[in-house]
Amino acid sequence: MNQPGVVVDESRPIFVQIAELIEIDIISGGLPEETQVPSTNEFAAFHRINPATAGKGVNLLVDEGILYKKRGIGMFVATGARDRLIGQRRQRFENDYVGPLVAEADKLGITRAQLAEMIRREEGSAE
Amino acid sequence: MTAVQTPTAARTAAGSGSRVIPVVRLHLVNRFSMLVLPWIILGFIFLVNLAIWWIVMSAVGPDADRADVQEGLQWSGASFYIFVYMMVLGVQAIALTFPFALGFSATRRDFWLGTSLTFVLLSALYAAGMTVLALIEVTTDGWWLGGRMFSALYFGGDAMPWYARFFLFFATFLFFFFVGALAAAIYQRWRVNGMLIFFGALTVALVGAAALITFSESWPAVGTWFVETGAPGVVAWSLVPTALAALVGYVILRRTTPKNS
Amino acid sequence: MSAVVEVKDLSKNYRTVTAVDEVSFTVEENTIYGLLGRNGAGKTTLMQLLTGQEFASSGEIRVFGESPVENAGVLERTSFIKESQKYPDDFQPKHVFASAPWFFPEWDAEFAERLIADFRVPLKRRIKKLSRGQLSSIGVIVGLASRAPLTFFDEPYLGLDAVARQIFYDRLLEDYAEHPRTVILSTHLIDEVSNLLEHVLVIDEGRIIVDQAAEELRGSATTIVGTRAGVDSFVAGREVLHRDHIGGLASVTVGRLDPLERQEAAELGLELSPVSLQQLIVQKTNVPAKEFEVKS
Repeated sequence: MNQPGVVVDESRPIFVQIAELIEIDIISGGLPEETQVPSTNEFAAFHRINPATAGKGVNLLVDEGILYKKRGIGMFVATGARDRLIGQRRQRFENDYVGPLVAEADKLGITRAQLAEMIRREEGSAE
Repeated sequence: MTAVQTPTAARTAAGSGSRVIPVVRLHLVNRFSMLVLPWIILGFIFLVNLAIWWIVMSAVGPDADRADVQEGLQWSGASFYIFVYMMVLGVQAIALTFPFALGFSATRRDFWLGTSLTFVLLSALYAAGMTVLALIEVTTDGWWLGGRMFSALYFGGDAMPWYARFFLFFATFLFFFFVGALAAAIYQRWRVNGMLIFFGALTVALVGAAALITFSESWPAVGTWFVETGAPGVVAWSLVPTALAALVGYVILRRTTPKNS
Repeated sequence: MSAVVEVKDLSKNYRTVTAVDEVSFTVEENTIYGLLGRNGAGKTTLMQLLTGQEFASSGEIRVFGESPVENAGVLERTSFIKESQKYPDDFQPKHVFASAPWFFPEWDAEFAERLIADFRVPLKRRIKKLSRGQLSSIGVIVGLASRAPLTFFDEPYLGLDAVARQIFYDRLLEDYAEHPRTVILSTHLIDEVSNLLEHVLVIDEGRIIVDQAAEELRGSATTIVGTRAGVDSFVAGREVLHRDHIGGLASVTVGRLDPLERQEAAELGLELSPVSLQQLIVQKTNVPAKEFEVKS
């Protein structure tokens, strides 16, 4: 559906994207540890997706131990979930960004020192 | 429902699902057009007739002439309209309510039973009304004007007991309902081609019968039969084609897919 | 999960055409299905067969474990909303909503009233005088409020504007979440509904050509754009779903690519773009895309 405010991209399964959205919320502190996560139906209504798909996204995080189920109450963010997610993200950052960055730098004959300098400058401009 | 649960168990849980009474209610849901409008139109025709009778009776002078005129007023066909109206209702029941009822997940069987029951109810209701009006008409000697609308001679004239009148109206209504329904069922199933063949066959049958009677020179015999059988008798015989129409109509509709265009 | 609908080798032949051709599939309980395909592909005929309105030429249909034909027990748990539903001449919308509960045991009158307000259906106007969109609204309301365990929507929203269609999707999802049931939604507005669907059936020329979970279909195809030579060498040996070219540029759709392949394509200077469900089906059924666009 081409809805404003609905972050769904066509190329990947929606349940993966739902799981990622919850992860982002946990990392950003929007969903602190040991708080309740919205229900599957709430996710479905908000994102305008099939509830079964939303449920699949939530279950993905349950399987990874990021969320856990309290019988009869709902889903909660596990203790330590945020640290683990950040750890995963850092690893992925290294693989997805740093790796290609260094590879491209090598192709262009940029030395590691020069690369480090560029990053520092980037930091300076951001301030 | 779990995988273990059998369809039969689920079915009993949901009830038998018969929708005969719902179909009756569906036919009658628009009370105005089924129960009110026909009486309004009939009432209007009646008023027009009253006016005509009044004008006629005021125009003729001597008693002898009056008797003549009254004789003529015995043959009013004014109430025929209501039978035609019922035929139209019969047609519409199939042409429009049938696709709609199937859209509401009714079976063809339940639809036909419910529709037949509706026809019987409406026939009884209208026959009762007409009988009462006929009795008033006879008692007041034609609404004090000598006119005849509900007890015209086709309907047995003055001398008929109330139950015979009721039966006469009832059977006639039924006949028109089911013949209308049959024609509409043929159209629903076979469209224009079906209509052409149906009316073609009907014409051939009628002309054939007429020819047969003519060639065997039995018109007088036919006339005598009608006279001897009398109005209620003839109408009783009409129950045969009525029942046939009901049966054939169901057989046709049972294999019909509602057309939506 | 249990199967609500089981179809085996089902065919429907008319005098000159085969509308449904040796079709077999099952429909799982409490799932939203999309029945997609071109106009005239056989969607409506298939749904008429499943609701006992049309008669099969050969093959077998089981709905709730039984044949649906003239089966009151099966049909009372079924609701079939057609684009072209006929109504009695003298009917007003209020007559439709008054009689619906007699036929649908699960009918929710309160929900119906909410929907009537949502869609702004005039209750006391002759149905013949309603607009196409208002007519569609009546069907949508009956389909939702009947809460039938098996609900068919056949192109339910002809003439409905974008706002009304969104209301339909929202109410459907909302009510489905609270009262799970099996929904089969036939439409050509695939992009609009693709996120609602859990399973997709695509019918083309009377045959089921796709019978897959929506999530599996998502991302199951990728379009590669680049120089003709580059694209050709990359897709060599792959099954090509669709091919297009203009001048020296080529655009080719292939199946799913793994990360390594994506990297390889990027290194060759090729651009990758995802293929939406709608595009995928357009390509599979090989029709100009405009047939799937909004008609209202």
